[in-house]
Amino acid sequence: MATRVKDKKAAAEQWRVGLSDDQLKDILHKLKLCRYFDERMEALYRQGRLPGAIYSGRGQEGTHVGVVYPLHDDDSLFPTHRDLSAQLTKGLELRRVMAQFWGRIDGYTRGRDGNSHIGDWQGNRTWTVMSHLPIAYPVACGAALAYKRRGEPRVAMAICGDGATSNGRWHEALNVSAIFELPVVWVVNNNQYAYSAPNPLEFPVPTIAERAQAYRMPGVRVDGANVLDVYQATGEAVDRARDGGGPTLIESVSLRWRGHAGHDPAKYVPKELLEDYMQNKDPVKRFEELLRSNGVVDDTTVKELDERIQREFEDGYEFAQNSPFPEPGDVTKGLWVEDGYWTSEPGRGGGTQT
Amino acid sequence: MATRTLEAGAAGHGAEPRGKRDDDGQATYLVAVAEGLWEEMERDERVFLLGEDIGVYGGAFKVTEGFIERFGAERVMDTPIVEETIVGMALGAAMEGFRPVAEFQYADFMSSGFDEITTALARYHYRSGVPAPVVLRAPSGGGVRASSFHSFNPEPWFAHSPGLKVMCPAFPTDAKGLIKSAIRDDNPCVFLEHKWIYRRVKEKVPEDPDFLIPIGKAEVKREGRDVTIVSYGMMVHHALDAAETLAQEGIDVEVIDLRSIVPLDTEAILASVAKTSRAVVLYESHRFLGVGAEVASVIAQEAFESLDAPVVRLAPPNVPVPFSPALEDAYLPQVTDIEDAVRKLSAW
Repeated sequence: MATRVKDKKAAAEQWRVGLSDDQLKDILHKLKLCRYFDERMEALYRQGRLPGAIYSGRGQEGTHVGVVYPLHDDDSLFPTHRDLSAQLTKGLELRRVMAQFWGRIDGYTRGRDGNSHIGDWQGNRTWTVMSHLPIAYPVACGAALAYKRRGEPRVAMAICGDGATSNGRWHEALNVSAIFELPVVWVVNNNQYAYSAPNPLEFPVPTIAERAQAYRMPGVRVDGANVLDVYQATGEAVDRARDGGGPTLIESVSLRWRGHAGHDPAKYVPKELLEDYMQNKDPVKRFEELLRSNGVVDDTTVKELDERIQREFEDGYEFAQNSPFPEPGDVTKGLWVEDGYWTSEPGRGGGTQT
Repeated sequence: MATRTLEAGAAGHGAEPRGKRDDDGQATYLVAVAEGLWEEMERDERVFLLGEDIGVYGGAFKVTEGFIERFGAERVMDTPIVEETIVGMALGAAMEGFRPVAEFQYADFMSSGFDEITTALARYHYRSGVPAPVVLRAPSGGGVRASSFHSFNPEPWFAHSPGLKVMCPAFPTDAKGLIKSAIRDDNPCVFLEHKWIYRRVKEKVPEDPDFLIPIGKAEVKREGRDVTIVSYGMMVHHALDAAETLAQEGIDVEVIDLRSIVPLDTEAILASVAKTSRAVVLYESHRFLGVGAEVASVIAQEAFESLDAPVVRLAPPNVPVPFSPALEDAYLPQVTDIEDAVRKLSAW
């Protein structure tokens, strides 16, 4: 009898895939923070209060949070401009992220790059994003090679979109990672559109995941609307890589709710498709409902969480506005290691007015 | 890791490049590069080589012959034909503390890895503060009847990609000293060897394992009073040949070998022009917007008051490197072209 009760209890708890209440709440916080950040930044962009560009990752938070959550602090992450939510999940500070958007000295690139072309290698082991995708896929091979050479139990993870899987480098990197059995997890955030090109114009096979067979590695397709599915599939891939089992390809399917960038109304996405995803496959809403139905959160805790996220955003906004621009005279600094710019305190004489 | 079972060499270890010097202890340019690589690999375990056919085969030009036996397949890593990934992988390993040296079979094939070189490798540190100590080695240049895809001089591409140091040595001693400096440098370096020089030029190359040539320093290879020739790579040798003939005519030529393109040693250039008041800028990359275009511009702007004549540029026309000996000789500045240019300039 006792055994049966225990089994029943274990079965009832399977939904949480081994995560504690605190971890589940943490995932909800990250999902909601990323969504809130994305929406607020777009509003500021449209009001003309944000310079540069924005690349919304809305609708893909389940992928971003789910793939990064299994990583350790010293595992490396090679994301794209679409994956700011993944970088926030890895640990980047919202304040410094926002300072980057406004071109301020406290941004992670010290004003040398903007928006989600961001990274924090020294602190959170994330690649400073570049636009030429999948430019970081080969680089992830190199980081993984270093871990393997030194026998360190570390993993490199690279993310790209479906669009980048058409590029030769994507295939080069998968091929090389399999030949040398590198500890890498390849993530494709399949949001169904490469700018305006839909999946059928990008690849002739039904799924991206099945391409893994050609490189003799496991290929897994998951529903990006279910963050815990993404977390579980990626967790297995991360463990396998860490244990010397080589690379895995993860295809996480979602829909890009917004345009390629802030200027793009994305009229090429069928309205019905978008409505279906927004209403029925919203990763943030789904996860909140899952936690509510299992009693992990309730109205009060969700309200507290939402208020906390608003405060975090306001704090980040204030911090960014008060952070000075880089010193204009430093424009040539930081090119060479020996000029010492990156190992010393930067000039903060740029003022805060544009 | 895909490793290979290796047949040990006759003596149970790889053949040291120093053993390839001639009976007088002179090293070719090719052997000098190999000595530099070998010494740095012995000195620093973080240094490793990667590229196509560099291990068991010993490299397209045999620079790394014997290396895999001495250092093993992990440090002399044969890769598939994946130029983008070779560069990207070198960058990733460098970000994690290694000091990779990637070989391209020919400098022409650097275009197959262009994005990883000029976008990823070159621009990473300025934007992130993360050092990327990667060396890219490649045999460049023409004069060996190798036609359009095996004769290219890509140095202007990389000189125009801020964040890369670019070297084009002309002599064995400089090649050895500079490859060692490049490997020890914390910035990405493009090291362009010249295949015409590889087996043509020999020198008694220093054996001190800490012998280095500083990056960004030109050298006066021949002192003279009348006309300055500023050059690098194979053209330095042509300039020195021309200078011998001109000396018999009473024209005293000074030859400046830039050795490094980035950083450019403008001080050495200007000091020579201040002395001679006449300058020929001789280079093997295309004349149009090539390396010499910048050198000529620096002289015109910074040394205007010293000049007694216009700055002359001698360089190939803006076409791909042709194959036919008749065409390649018309394409590349010849020794006689240099002599004519200097005569005309000294009579100005």
